[in-house]
Amino acid sequence: MKKEYGALVVGAGIGGIRSALDLAETGLKVALIDARPSLGGILTQLDHQFPSDHCGMCKMLPLTQRDQSSQYCLRKGLFHKNIDIYLHTELTGLEGDPGKFQATLRRRSTFVDPTRCVSCGLCAEVCPARVPSEFNAGLAPRTAVYLPVPHNIPNHYVVDLDNCQRCWRCYEACPTKAIDFKFEQRKDFHIIVATPDERITQDLPLWFKDENFPLHPTATGEKALELLAGGLECGLMLLDLDLPEAEVERTLRRALELRPNLAVVLLVSKDKDGAKNEDEGKDKAVAALFKQGAREVLAKPLKQAQAVPWLDKLFMRLVSDESFSLEVGAVILAAGFECYNPGDNPNGCADLMLYGSHPGVLTSLEFERLASPTGPSQGLLTRPGDGKPLHRIAWLQCVGSRDVKKQADFCSSFCCMISIKQALLAKRRSCGEAEATIFYMDMRTNGRDYQRYRDEAENTAGVRFIPARPHSILPGPDGDLLIQYYDYSGELREEVFDALVLAVGARPPKSMERLALAAGIEVNDSGFCATRYLSPNRTSRLGVFAAGAFGEPADIRGSMIQAGAAAMGASRMIRVYHGPRDETPEAEPEYTDVSRQVPRVLMALCSSCPTLELNVNADALRQRMAILPGVVKVVDVKRACTREGWDTLRQEAEATAPNRVLIGACLPYMHVPRLRELGEDLKLNPALMDVVDIHTASLAGRATSFGGHAACRASCAAGRGEEPGASPGVCDCGETARTDEMSSLLAMAAAKLLGADPSSLPQATPVSPQALVVGGGLAGMTAAMGIADQGFKVVLVEEAEQLGGQAMNLRYTLGGDDPARFMEDLIEQVEKNPNIRVLKDSRVVLSRGKAGRFVTVVATGEGMAHTLHHGATILATGGHEAKVYEYGNRVRKCVLTQLELEQRLAAGSVDASSLSGVAMIQCWRSREESRNYCSRVCCQGALKNILMLKKRNPGLPVYVFYRDIMTTGFAEHYYTEARRSGAIFIRYTPDTRPKVEFKDDKPVITALDPVLSAQIELHPDLLVLSSGVEPNDSAEIADLFGVSLTDNGFYQEAESKWRPVDFLKHGVFACGLGLGPATMRETLLSAKAAAQRAVRILSEKQLSCGNVVAEIRDTLCSRCGRCISVCPYGARALDLDRDKIVVDELLCQGCGSCMAACPNSATVLRGFRDEQVMAVIDAALAVQPAAAAGL
Amino acid sequence: MQELIVTPEAQGEPMPGAAFEPAIVAFVCNWCTYTAADLAGTSRMVQSPNVRLVRMMCTGMVDPKYIIKALLGGADAVLISGCHPGDCHYINGNYKARRRVKLLMEILPRFGIDSRRIKLTWVGASEGNEFAATVNSFAAEIKELGPIDTRRLPLL
Repeated sequence: MKKEYGALVVGAGIGGIRSALDLAETGLKVALIDARPSLGGILTQLDHQFPSDHCGMCKMLPLTQRDQSSQYCLRKGLFHKNIDIYLHTELTGLEGDPGKFQATLRRRSTFVDPTRCVSCGLCAEVCPARVPSEFNAGLAPRTAVYLPVPHNIPNHYVVDLDNCQRCWRCYEACPTKAIDFKFEQRKDFHIIVATPDERITQDLPLWFKDENFPLHPTATGEKALELLAGGLECGLMLLDLDLPEAEVERTLRRALELRPNLAVVLLVSKDKDGAKNEDEGKDKAVAALFKQGAREVLAKPLKQAQAVPWLDKLFMRLVSDESFSLEVGAVILAAGFECYNPGDNPNGCADLMLYGSHPGVLTSLEFERLASPTGPSQGLLTRPGDGKPLHRIAWLQCVGSRDVKKQADFCSSFCCMISIKQALLAKRRSCGEAEATIFYMDMRTNGRDYQRYRDEAENTAGVRFIPARPHSILPGPDGDLLIQYYDYSGELREEVFDALVLAVGARPPKSMERLALAAGIEVNDSGFCATRYLSPNRTSRLGVFAAGAFGEPADIRGSMIQAGAAAMGASRMIRVYHGPRDETPEAEPEYTDVSRQVPRVLMALCSSCPTLELNVNADALRQRMAILPGVVKVVDVKRACTREGWDTLRQEAEATAPNRVLIGACLPYMHVPRLRELGEDLKLNPALMDVVDIHTASLAGRATSFGGHAACRASCAAGRGEEPGASPGVCDCGETARTDEMSSLLAMAAAKLLGADPSSLPQATPVSPQALVVGGGLAGMTAAMGIADQGFKVVLVEEAEQLGGQAMNLRYTLGGDDPARFMEDLIEQVEKNPNIRVLKDSRVVLSRGKAGRFVTVVATGEGMAHTLHHGATILATGGHEAKVYEYGNRVRKCVLTQLELEQRLAAGSVDASSLSGVAMIQCWRSREESRNYCSRVCCQGALKNILMLKKRNPGLPVYVFYRDIMTTGFAEHYYTEARRSGAIFIRYTPDTRPKVEFKDDKPVITALDPVLSAQIELHPDLLVLSSGVEPNDSAEIADLFGVSLTDNGFYQEAESKWRPVDFLKHGVFACGLGLGPATMRETLLSAKAAAQRAVRILSEKQLSCGNVVAEIRDTLCSRCGRCISVCPYGARALDLDRDKIVVDELLCQGCGSCMAACPNSATVLRGFRDEQVMAVIDAALAVQPAAAAGL
Repeated sequence: MQELIVTPEAQGEPMPGAAFEPAIVAFVCNWCTYTAADLAGTSRMVQSPNVRLVRMMCTGMVDPKYIIKALLGGADAVLISGCHPGDCHYINGNYKARRRVKLLMEILPRFGIDSRRIKLTWVGASEGNEFAATVNSFAAEIKELGPIDTRRLPLL
């Protein structure tokens, strides 16, 4: 039966994971696929992310219903009840319509059976192939059978068939026979060779003697067809193009009619001396045959060394790869991006920048790998090649971005911040000794807090920022680099560096063309997925959405928001097409109450695992475990990782009826979903079960490698005068120590289980299925629509008499959209939507409660008070153009803000043709204290106005004084346009600010032009100021809902990267200008992302807490209140009426801070009760009595 | 308050013939260091034996009584390891651990326990090698220090 899913998410990087989680948390089933063999996308390679310079990825994991998903490091992997992950899988076709797509997927085989592979690594040890490792960005080699990411779980080796040398050594080395190269199937794989070429007919049987393929050479297509018609189960056909053209075509067509799945390979002779025309003719013929179903091309004349491996690998792919299809409601594409490789492009800059030829020239990705502890140098910043510690490091920005010649008329958005982060990292690693220099064009610090980060790097850490593009990069003395550039004052400088890091930009993924074709979407000029400016989460195909950096290069924060918006789009689509969701949610499993029973532990030890058997004295282990307190039975389960093994375990458990289950196996993380299943079968809460990793401890014998241990075993046997393997399990090389360690680990886990609290969890909170949106601007209305369209009631509270907010002031966008029209439509939709109740001229006066159950009082202008019960709150209180009274603003007619100019240009009250000159000053009072943030919209606003002015009066001189032009993403294109149109951009620094005076009521601007290195004086008609964005005063609202604000009055989100629209207070979300300066597009995205976060709560009938949650023993509590102040989530409060400390179990994330702070041990963390932890410590330190007894 | 008598730590007699292998209890956080320890294990990094990991959700929940319990229960040393500052899954738990351990390090010598027997480190999820190195160097330090002998401690 075809599997059905709510949504298909293509790409399991962070964007894909965010989208998948956002959908899965609302109860939809999600299929998450990735072409790579590992999860996590590019973030698996990056260990450090600004601003914390650490990872933090785990903060994406769900906060409510936590136990439905994994509760461990997200870089290890992901598990969620509603997400199925298919790796090494690509989307090959998408048919049908939204709500009922048929997605065809192809899973490429890894040739390693994941149920058998124990990641022992013997295969890689013997593999002779060496290719650059993708994980280490090519800085280190890897073998052809390899671990894609060292820290992933499950961590199985994969075979990279393309680079495999077919020596089969890994196959022979594998102790579990996990590697399968389909040797058995070869003798049944018939190959028809239809060729007039006698040499091929003669050679092939000789060449393929070892492979054992049954070959059927025929001289004509006719005979080949006869064979097929005769019932030959043929898997592959080689068809020579030297046969008559009509015959080739007919044979192909007929063969595919007879065997639709037959793989047909065309043999094409490529004559080197042959005429070019002939080749072109052949290419056309081949293309035509491909359309008819031919799969591959093999060039003639065949050479044994190439043809045999090629055909053999083709065979392996044909019999191993699988194709399957899924029925999905919507599709989210999150295939991410690829880093620009200067070496890839023949017209690239590799030679100019010495990339590839000088070991000191690295890409930023390579630098990340150098800095990573899992990287080639274990985290030491040394130069590849000579190993010299990197002390003088330069960064060169915009390599492969903002470069029209390299088809990159866009800004990659993330490289500036990455370089600052890397510079700080280098500084910190060297205790400040390293010299870090960044050569840049514009430092795009356009996030809310990014400018401060840069200032800190520049002023505190001492990173040098040089606005220059080095013209020459030359090999220097001692393997160093000599960089020549003109500095800001125009002087030629020359400096020596140990390394140069190229801040490479984003490129569409290599598979983009295939993916676009398969998904039926359009791509834009730069090769990224095409999206419209005002519907940024949608692709050109209805029901297919773009998440992460797939539609536009973005940093983590941007990707997260975009992914949330895509999830909202998909979720809405699924619900619109499927109607209201099934009203029968999955029944929560019911567990037997075992709190009154004596603990009975069933211990299951996985066996038949070669590594385990080899390294541990299993019998001794079992005997020792059996005498542990509470253990009723120790069972041997053969290969617990397989279905059969698990079934044995279940049967044992059913027979023993334990109330605790402890499993000793490998990869505990993998067993999480199975424990839940087992729990449902046994009616036993999975919190009373645990899996202990006895595999890792058994591996490798710590001090010796696996192979080393085997060798040791042999020598031990020899020492006893025995044949190797005569007495397995007897070896002195640490086996006893390992057995001790393992029994200790199991005893610790058993002790913890014994003390586990079997009582049931606190009552679940019922959810009020209604949302409150505060603020009726673009963000608020978009969020309200996003929630209402998914079938939930929304109350939209707006302070003003009209909906619309700040976006109503906009007249046009860079992309040429009509914002006024867009807003009109949106307002109409909101007001007509039956699920939305709009309260204008109203304000929130009181709010109480928690996620799922808020009670809020709203007062209207007429003096009415409404009491609302809602499950989620979205704060979209917005912002406004900053008001500063300087430079003659609001005093003189000739001084305008960008927004005023836009309105006047639209209304016609400024006539561009009558002007003789316009000057603009950017970053006016922005990016310096007290508004030390980039307002994001002003550069784009200025470009919009410049292009409009230039369109109306192409000869009009326009001068723009700027610090850095912040046109990230595809907005860069308009910066290029503006420069092309003749606008003159003059850089200034905070020290060389342009001076403005007024003469005859006209502005006179004097400033330093760094290009001319001279003072200039301008007399424009108009002076336009970019005044930036300020948040509306939201202190009161923030106070009411218990959320915090930044220094500048924006909302402080829970985590700037991983939870960009959430507050620490669960159930309250923020979007739009209130969260930080944003363009219309970005506001739409954040509003949609916030809507989806709210739907995530509303779609739940009731919210239950996780198994690890704080509780209070009231009689011990002295009400000292320390736990209240220490709780990072505000989950605790003193209930004055009942004189009790109360825990909000939904807010509580189980960190246990309260437990450590409590002087009376009155607060208890479930799963980590004092008794448990103490027992675990005892077990850890216990001298194994059994060991002492000699067992 | 009576002034505590601080004596140098009572050294246990080294067992003749047998090399001293310190027993170390490590309280590691579920998110970062536990992952790193796992990575170190699966990557076959050479690690000192006799280190028992006790997985906690966060270093912020490591109550000093657990540390004292471990030391009195026979551990020669205690390692506490969590996420790097600023990286705590629970926002600020590691800062709480830092304050707590600092105080403990000041108090324990008064009871005759060398403060070198407690160590607080930050090890991120991908720093398997860092974890192995930390454990090994700590084990070496404790080897040098010799076994703890809690029976001979003053006041205990």
